[in-house]
Amino acid sequence: MVSTKKKKSEEKNQKISTIRFLIASFLVLVAVCTGVLVLFARTMSEKSEETVNKIGTIYMSGLNERISMHFESTIDSRLSRVEYLIQTVEPEEFDTREELYNGLQYGAEARNLSHLAFYGTDGSFEMVLGDEIELADPVPFLESMKQGEKKIAVGRSASGEDIVVLGVPAEYPMKNGSTSLALTGAFPVSDIKRLLALDNNYSLVYSHVIRRDGSFVIRTGEGDEINYFDLISEYFLENSEKSPETYVEEMKQAMEKDEDYSALLYLKDDRRHLHCTSLPYSEWYLVTVMPYGTLDQTVNEMSVQRFHFLVISIGIVLCVLLTIFIMYFRLTQKQITELEETRREAVRASKAKSEFLSNMSHDIRTPMNAILGMTAIATTNIDNKLQVQNCLKKITLSGRHLLGLINDILDMSKIESGKLTLSVELISLSEIMDGIVNIVQPQIKEKKQEFDVFIHNVVTEKVYCDSVRLNQVLLNLLSNSIKFTPEGGFISVSMKEENSPKGEDFVRIHLYVKDNGIGMSPEFQEKIFESFAREDNKRVHKTEGTGLGMAITRYIVDAMEGSIEVQSEQGRGTEFHVVLDLERAVSEEEEMILPDWNMLVVDDDEELCRSTAASLEAIGLKAEWTLDGESAVVMAVDRHRQRNDYHIILIDWQMPGIDGIETARRMRNKLGKDIPILLISAYDWSDIETEAREAGVTGFISKPLFRLTLFYGLKQYTDNPSQTQEQNLSHRTDFGGARIIVAEDNELNWEIASELLSMLNLELEWAENGRICVEKFAQSPEGYYSAVLMDIRMPVMTGYEAAKTIRGLKRADSDIPIIAMTADAFAEDVQKCLDYGMNAHVAKPIDVKDVARLLDKYIKP
Amino acid sequence: MTLKECYDVLGGDYENAVGRLMNDRILQKFVFKFLNDGSYDMLIRSMEAEDYKEAFRAAHTMKGVCQNLSFTVLGESSSHLTEALRAEKSEEYQELLEAVKEDYRRTVAAIQVLKAEC
Repeated sequence: MVSTKKKKSEEKNQKISTIRFLIASFLVLVAVCTGVLVLFARTMSEKSEETVNKIGTIYMSGLNERISMHFESTIDSRLSRVEYLIQTVEPEEFDTREELYNGLQYGAEARNLSHLAFYGTDGSFEMVLGDEIELADPVPFLESMKQGEKKIAVGRSASGEDIVVLGVPAEYPMKNGSTSLALTGAFPVSDIKRLLALDNNYSLVYSHVIRRDGSFVIRTGEGDEINYFDLISEYFLENSEKSPETYVEEMKQAMEKDEDYSALLYLKDDRRHLHCTSLPYSEWYLVTVMPYGTLDQTVNEMSVQRFHFLVISIGIVLCVLLTIFIMYFRLTQKQITELEETRREAVRASKAKSEFLSNMSHDIRTPMNAILGMTAIATTNIDNKLQVQNCLKKITLSGRHLLGLINDILDMSKIESGKLTLSVELISLSEIMDGIVNIVQPQIKEKKQEFDVFIHNVVTEKVYCDSVRLNQVLLNLLSNSIKFTPEGGFISVSMKEENSPKGEDFVRIHLYVKDNGIGMSPEFQEKIFESFAREDNKRVHKTEGTGLGMAITRYIVDAMEGSIEVQSEQGRGTEFHVVLDLERAVSEEEEMILPDWNMLVVDDDEELCRSTAASLEAIGLKAEWTLDGESAVVMAVDRHRQRNDYHIILIDWQMPGIDGIETARRMRNKLGKDIPILLISAYDWSDIETEAREAGVTGFISKPLFRLTLFYGLKQYTDNPSQTQEQNLSHRTDFGGARIIVAEDNELNWEIASELLSMLNLELEWAENGRICVEKFAQSPEGYYSAVLMDIRMPVMTGYEAAKTIRGLKRADSDIPIIAMTADAFAEDVQKCLDYGMNAHVAKPIDVKDVARLLDKYIKP
Repeated sequence: MTLKECYDVLGGDYENAVGRLMNDRILQKFVFKFLNDGSYDMLIRSMEAEDYKEAFRAAHTMKGVCQNLSFTVLGESSSHLTEALRAEKSEEYQELLEAVKEDYRRTVAAIQVLKAEC
């Protein structure tokens, strides 16, 4: 009890530790997943910011380059227009100043210039086309012109329009008489804005053109500030790393070094990318700004999506893992439970075994003690014959019981070591049933139980099966029934046949063994087929046995690939049902057909009547049946009056109302002596034979009523009465009373020979030794004896000498067949027999078939 | 005790015997007659008288009877003695004779028990 508790708590602990381990590992897994997720999210957002920045830089520099190239090509083309004008409109070609002005005006308008002027060495403009213009920053422009460089600058016309001024050095005569320093053309700033697409409000990116000091040359968007650096300081928030001033400073330095500058600027909730490059032909710088807002948003959206996706993926993975964990856990639990079950099973089996052993040692010791005790009593009373006999009887009983126990145990150990083998042979079901009935009858009689055998439509008689084991199964079941059925109880065996699912060559045989004994508890029914099981209660305690019988039965049935079931109720009885699929034997027996006699079957069991009638019809007879003696008498008498008697009447011995013998007596009184009346009985009829014969019963036929049984039982009543049941033996059975001398010194051997050979319708004479044999033969008329069966080892004269002597007699029949009979079955003995003139040799023990075959060879009918 | 059990006790082949002698009743009759068979007495007497020729014949007869009745165990021990007598291996006589005596006693005891019950 304590150990069970301990085991249970151990089991529980084991279970808890498994759960703990699984939960812990799952939590670790969740933690790892979350960690990975966070790390991933962070890395990805950093990476994506970095990447976006990189993209920004690449994009911005590309954009700036493109804008600046565009700017350059725009300015180039404008400058080249001015240059072209200079080349095409030479002052010498024009006669008057008026004409020169006109030519230049025309050329300038054609080239889309809004203004055209001569630039004087003093920095004054002499307007050729358009209103007066003024430069915003005239000093560097003048310097460049003086140097003979091409230059552009911004300015403002008198009408207040912002313009870009293009200066190309050229010498033209001016109104004041001096020569011009350059020819300057101009076009509105808005043209550049348009051309560079700087005023596109829809574009994400916007650009400014600034001077080195930060003042705007071209400004996109609204605002009053005139200096971009101020704008930066004003607008852009403190960056974590750098102040806006630092940016300005860095930008200025880059401007001085004539390098591109690129930087990230942070706004309240936005980042902007700034890229600054110098523009050619000018002191100007192109500043392009790209807010990251939209890009960031898109990237962020993508990141969020990716993050969601990741979370969902990890969620799914975790779910799957959780499921796997749970399933694994359940599996483990199941395995543990199974293991536990197996262990418990093993414990139970070993417990059953040890219980069995303790029972057994008691069971073995009891008869053993009886044997020893009785032996002692017998020894002390050795002169008291009655007492000794009594003791011996008890010793025998105990010994027999012991033998049964030991046989069972040996059988079981054979089965348990897997050595149970079936020796399949051709058997006859009817013979098996006959045998069983014969064996159990004495026990049934002893317990005053009722017993019956039912054969339902069994057509197949010959099958392949292990007869010994089949017998054992039936005997075990029957002896169990007998054992557990009180006196006066009823026991029956039934057999029926149906088609086997195994195919045409097989037949399914159902065997039922039923009793109305004490029955079994449902618990016990479950383990009845286990080894060493015995219902352990007071009711059955006094009934002995190993408890192995049913286990053995089960093993045998299993080995035969059959099944066995039990149905039982305590106090009501038990029924065992065995199903076997047996291979049909190819029937080579003679066709079983009897003349078409009218038969009457009388039995109180309707089922049996029907099946018997069916069997009778199958062998060519016409059968009627009735269920009781009185009606049977009436039927038989009716027929008798019509002079159409039944040929044979079969009557069951035990019937309610008038029994078989009484029925037979009444019939015999009314029908006369001719009609054979046979009594059907499952019992040994020796007890009732005399009474039955006196009542007019002609013969007996034993249950179970197989077709074969009926055929051979009835065949002797065919017209040739000498054809008895020996018909089926393969040797000759009738030697027509031929006389034979049997020379045999041993009386017992002689009697056995006589018993066996008299069945062959031989007349036997005994000669106790060789000399007597020779004398008998010598004194007989010639041809009186048909053969001599000669033992070899005899006193007075051996078989060899006797044979030699007979052969030496001067008689016509001295060549009489002499057959040696000896226990020495050596080849040299056989040869010696032939050397002494004998015809053949037959080995002891005498087998009637062998002898009959030899005699048949030497005795001609 | 049934005839079969009797055979089990004395060490015989019941199936074989009953197969040859047709049925239990006949077999039992002969088994009982074994009690009156003189070959054992003859064997003992001739062994005591050291008449080994006669002893050989007696042992041989006994062997034959045993074979007839399928008394396997006694049949074998008497067969061993028969062969020893045939080959005149006198040093083996005593031991083999003891075996025959032992088996014979058991056989007879079994039959007597059977007979007592009938």
